[in-house]
Amino acid sequence: MNKLLMFHGRECPHCIAMMPHVDRLEKETGVEIERLEVWHNEKNADLMRAYREIIEPKCGGQLRTPTFMNTETNDILCGEIKYEELEDWATK
Amino acid sequence: MKKFWRCHVCNDVHYGVNPPEVCPTCLVKKAYMEISSEEAKKISGRSESTVDKVDFRKAIEKFSEGNQFQVNPDKKRVETLLEGIFNCEKNHGMKYCPCRLITKNFEDDLKLVCPCNFRIHETYKNKEDGECWCGLFIRRQ
Ligand code: SF4
Ligand SMILES: [Zn+2]
Repeated sequence: MNKLLMFHGRECPHCIAMMPHVDRLEKETGVEIERLEVWHNEKNADLMRAYREIIEPKCGGQLRTPTFMNTETNDILCGEIKYEELEDWATK
Repeated sequence: MKKFWRCHVCNDVHYGVNPPEVCPTCLVKKAYMEISSEEAKKISGRSESTVDKVDFRKAIEKFSEGNQFQVNPDKKRVETLLEGIFNCEKNHGMKYCPCRLITKNFEDDLKLVCPCNFRIHETYKNKEDGECWCGLFIRRQ
């Protein structure tokens, strides 16, 4: 598993808005982000739930989508964010 | 603890901590008495009703009417969200929010049934351009 994860929902407008940023980030920096859809894939949903204790305190007490997670540092971002912020998170 | 209550005049069923003071259907005061969940199921189970996407669309319009919020005029966004809400119902049993994942604790997840109580969320409360977390509802302009 890649260390950088993006938990997203297929019909979540925030995720849809963030996808082009993720594509651009991968292209420009060469990092890879593993996209895990959680509403149509139970395995991915269970994985996100397994990280509840790490994700929730940083995302308003909820499992919001999108959630970006670095599984090595537990660095979390959630919701719609600027490209620069995403880049900082991914290249730190 | 929430219980079931039945209007002894018109058989309306209420699920809540307390019975309604006035029956919203027959308008009789103090008309409710506690009943069992089995009785409540029998009464409400007599009528089949479904809410499809068109009904739901109408229901959220009606729900926002006269409220401080409205359905987002961004049609495409609303369509995407309704698609998600109905897929959630099909795959997970309830019309859950497409922008937050359920925990699989039924009680907790009731907070994620659309429309949720977004008025208390930080994306809406005290914000002039507040919206629900997904942007299905926005503060009325
Ligand atoms: S955040 Fe919006 S779309 Fe999501 S459940 Fe609440 S009202 Fe529905
Ligand atoms: Zn009545």
